Amino acid sequence: MQDSTGTDRDRNDQDLTMDPADAAAIMAEASDRARRRLQPDYRVLYAIRGVIWILGYGIIWLAVRGQHPFHGPNPGAYAAVALIAALVVVVTLGSARAETGLRGPSVLRLWAYLLSILAGVGAVFALEGALVRAGASPSVVGIFEASAPILVLGLLCFARFSAERNWALAGLGLWMVLVAAVGGYAGPATVWAVGALAVGPALLLTAAVGPRVPRA
Amino acid sequence: MSDDELNPVIHTPARLRIMVTLATLRDGDDLSFTGLQDVTGLTPGNLITHLRKLEDAEYVTTNKNGSGVTARTSIAITHDGRAALKEYSTVLRQLLDSAGQSQQP
Repeated sequence: MQDSTGTDRDRNDQDLTMDPADAAAIMAEASDRARRRLQPDYRVLYAIRGVIWILGYGIIWLAVRGQHPFHGPNPGAYAAVALIAALVVVVTLGSARAETGLRGPSVLRLWAYLLSILAGVGAVFALEGALVRAGASPSVVGIFEASAPILVLGLLCFARFSAERNWALAGLGLWMVLVAAVGGYAGPATVWAVGALAVGPALLLTAAVGPRVPRA
Repeated sequence: MSDDELNPVIHTPARLRIMVTLATLRDGDDLSFTGLQDVTGLTPGNLITHLRKLEDAEYVTTNKNGSGVTARTSIAITHDGRAALKEYSTVLRQLLDSAGQSQQP
């Protein structure tokens, strides 16, 4: 091969020739480079989300376990979780930045997904306020507070699966819906442990399985 | 089979890089000129030259939006371009296979 890599890459190479092995090597290298530059590393993202999820739900469970009667997490626990949630946002926005220069349906889909998460989680907290205002007990509010975000995020995962034909996300989404549906039966304190131990490792497993989004 | 069967429009290092990079995008997505330049490592002048050839073959489309400092040129691969790259890959694989077989004792 003549002049296909390195400092000579920027030469006008219209007259250069390649043998088939060189062409195959260029295709492999260019494809790998494009994927690394234009697609977020979903394995890392889901691994980070898994760790953050275990920490967030774990912190609240530590704050509420053994409460009799149950009165809910203290403000310090909420502050820690808010900090963790902010980290998730930063990581997710970092993944969006990986697609810099891209435009089109896949970028719109990513932002629609992020906005759906914000809208869903925001609605959960608004609804929680309504429950408190209507006189719901701390136990009822606690179960709702732990389960509703899992339900929302699980459904979003499943919706994303249908858009991207990603079976790892389908499994994760259905599992989260199941955890949200039955986790509350563990009670207002233990439901946080269920959330930490059932969803966090599932996110880590999804990272290991590889939720790489296929290109059409 | 011989190398002559490889599509000459694609069969140069720079244009092959451009086509492979654009083929990793989803249908309907496009990439900014600077983004493509960044991924391929080509200079602006060289990239323009090769894009013109690919555009003449209707393998890529370029669109310029806005004007002045806000102008943005975006590049996308066409259906014909994807098909041509797929055909190129098939021929390339056949060439490599036949070369491998001819080297066997």
